Amino acid sequence: MRYMADPIQFTESKIEKNPVFLLGNEAIARGAVEAGIEFASSYPGTPSSEVGDTLSQVADKLGIKFLYSVNEKVALESAFAASISGMRSLVFMKHVGLNVASDPFVSTVYTGIRSGLVIMTADDPSMFSSQNEQDNRHYADLAHIPMIEPSNPQEAKDFMKEAFELSEKYHIPVLFRTTTRVSHMRGLVNVGEIPKIKGTRRIFEREPKRFVSLPVNAIGLKKMLMEKLGEIAMESDMSSMNSVSSDMISKIGAITSGSAYNSLMDAVVSHSIEMDVLKIGFTNPLPKTRIAEFLRKHEKVVVVEELDPYMEEKIRTIAQMNGIRTSIYGKLDGYFPQLYELNPDAVLQSLAGVINIPGYIQPNSPKNGSDLSPRPPVLCPGCPHRGTYYAVKRSVRMSNIKKPIYASDIGCYSLGTYDPFDEADTIISMGSSIGVANGFSMVTDQKVIAFIGDSTFYHSGIPPLINAVHNNLDMLVVIMDNATTAMTGQQPNPGNELDYDGKPVTGIPIENVVRGIGVKNVSVVDPYDLKASLITINRSLHQAGVSVIISRRECAINRDRKLRKKGEIEIYTVNQDKCGKCMNCVENFSCPALFIENGEIQINPTICDGCGVCAEPLVCPFKAIEVKN
Amino acid sequence: MTYNIRLAGVGGQGIITAGTIISEAAKRSGQKVIMSEIHGLSQRGGSVTVDVRIGDCYGSIIPQNSCDLVIGLELMETFRAIESLGNVGTALMSTEKINPISLSMHRKEYPCFEDLMEKYSMGTKIYPVEAGEIAMEAGSSKAVNIVMIGVALGFNLFPMNTSEVVHVLKDTFPEKKLSINMKALELGIAWSGRMKTHVHENSTVPNRNS
Ligand code: SF4
Ligand code: SF4
Repeated sequence: MRYMADPIQFTESKIEKNPVFLLGNEAIARGAVEAGIEFASSYPGTPSSEVGDTLSQVADKLGIKFLYSVNEKVALESAFAASISGMRSLVFMKHVGLNVASDPFVSTVYTGIRSGLVIMTADDPSMFSSQNEQDNRHYADLAHIPMIEPSNPQEAKDFMKEAFELSEKYHIPVLFRTTTRVSHMRGLVNVGEIPKIKGTRRIFEREPKRFVSLPVNAIGLKKMLMEKLGEIAMESDMSSMNSVSSDMISKIGAITSGSAYNSLMDAVVSHSIEMDVLKIGFTNPLPKTRIAEFLRKHEKVVVVEELDPYMEEKIRTIAQMNGIRTSIYGKLDGYFPQLYELNPDAVLQSLAGVINIPGYIQPNSPKNGSDLSPRPPVLCPGCPHRGTYYAVKRSVRMSNIKKPIYASDIGCYSLGTYDPFDEADTIISMGSSIGVANGFSMVTDQKVIAFIGDSTFYHSGIPPLINAVHNNLDMLVVIMDNATTAMTGQQPNPGNELDYDGKPVTGIPIENVVRGIGVKNVSVVDPYDLKASLITINRSLHQAGVSVIISRRECAINRDRKLRKKGEIEIYTVNQDKCGKCMNCVENFSCPALFIENGEIQINPTICDGCGVCAEPLVCPFKAIEVKN
Repeated sequence: MTYNIRLAGVGGQGIITAGTIISEAAKRSGQKVIMSEIHGLSQRGGSVTVDVRIGDCYGSIIPQNSCDLVIGLELMETFRAIESLGNVGTALMSTEKINPISLSMHRKEYPCFEDLMEKYSMGTKIYPVEAGEIAMEAGSSKAVNIVMIGVALGFNLFPMNTSEVVHVLKDTFPEKKLSINMKALELGIAWSGRMKTHVHENSTVPNRNS
């Protein structure tokens, strides 16, 4: 239950209720709606997902065409088409999602667009839910695209509107970059009016010289792009998204942006540090004149930013080109860390190396970690993946397979890497399970098993499967189909018959895709039925060529929701008279509802979701786990 | 001045809901407020914290040694929060235990309360609350989060009034769940009331300025 009933009061603009308490991502959705978007598309990814969760609740009411695309590339290409057909369009994704969309991303900046097109990307410093902490600001340089970065929910909303204005004025896509802390920070936001949109269909007017990026056209487009960028640089210098926080009285200055600004300000206020702060919201092109002026007015300037020294390198260049002698401090000279997100304590510690902070005492080096039992995330109680991993591990052991290779992928099932399953040797990127399995099958004689979820399979698992079949490779591909994009909050995917708002769509059965590609050995199992799963896996492990097992069972979160509504959940308990204390259930199946107390196995009744899989003889050979009445 | 609250527990315990209720009530009482949320993979039964900062501040991260109040919905997670925050003003701790599989998988049991207290309280005043039982009495084991909000209100640990929280509850929960959560809030407040009247001479009850 969340305070989400009417997240942004989209239905009417109840402005008298200002301010409203919005999550950064909700504010982004609100900003886009206030900017009059008529089209939005995405592939879900933390920390960007709540933009879609919000839009999916209101798109229909407002007449916005919103859809989850099969992947980020298709999402961006669709939004591009909507934009050049005359609709303001938003496309959003997590940072690594932009890698997937990078091909059209770069070229749409060349061709330019018609109605505003904003590409929102959410970076994840400190990698709360990502495989890397790549700094997507570099994409702005790579693609020559203007970039805007908010620091808090109010700015997220306001800057989003500015991003659309900018995009439309210069007919160029705009990159809108957040980080986890900004996207997942809830704060007070004064919302504005929601315009009436046409939301009808448009007529696309052709202009092949612009939108066909063959070399003959691209040559001219590049030149035009660079000219545009020159004009946009002047916009940046005048933009109110860049601001100085005080009246320039100190000899010391700081240049900062995004979430780093918040950490800096909390540090500055807590220790009453006298410092002028230039906060940059328009981060590409940087406001060069303002920065030069700011540098000239200070003896020392620190650059406070997260991850790479992106601004610092440019600021040093600006100083050099203008012959400015101000001392500049940042990451390149080792004052600030290039790793992980900043926080007020880290900023203070770094600042203390540059300036004297009265009353600041260097903290004792923190002790190394806690010896409290760790509690990493786990597969939910009732999660179908637990059955799949349990059955595969058993089968591999029963078949006496030496050194199997588990190529896993991105989703909740990535948690299969942890004990007791330990069934992941590689996790690299979306769809890489089957891609990497291709390589292993070509260069080793080990048994290769790829695990991939349904959404990830649709997203980018199909091309590597084609590659495997075409090249007669050997592998077992286990597609874990829970009929949703679970990890990011149960968004729909192309396997579903209903869209997020209950509209009928065409579900694409995985078995049809797989058979269409030419896989001969295709089976479907229910991971709650351990015995049947085991038999099928055993058989498939001994088949040559590409075998596919679709392990199909609804995500436990969706199942629980439905059952709870109907009040039908029946939970399980351990009959102590029958329990043989073999400990198999806790040691090898490890549902989080199971625990040991005073030497006895117990089931936590508030956690058990009644899947009943632990009661199967393959988990509890003593048949001691029973329905609680 | 900022009043910093950390809510700690296990994914699925309603921590974001609790944080939003506290924040929304602070907002309605005319104060500035910022909250941090956890989404994605970390929500799946792992340690989860939500920080609420009331007053003038910029970011959602609570600096070291400046947390005024920890509200722990689970025993071990309360200690984990205290450990990571440095000096903490006051901690209210639900005695609910949710076993991390890292223990049972190795045939270990949940550590005993006294051991945890001795080893990890780091000088913080910790007030244990049987919130699980109180929640059951209110009608749902899931209402531990609201019970703990009630306890904090009862001790006057929030910079706002009970009536503001009650209004937010009414806007948050559908009718069916509202009565359980209102009951949970009342029982939580009453629990603190009893604590206050039963204190021994030389023990203390928490308050905001301590
Ligand atoms: S959300 Fe669904 S898929 Fe993810 S761990 Fe929970 S039950 Fe499994
Ligand atoms: S029935 Fe068993 S496996 Fe399923 S949720 Fe309950 S304890 Fe866990």
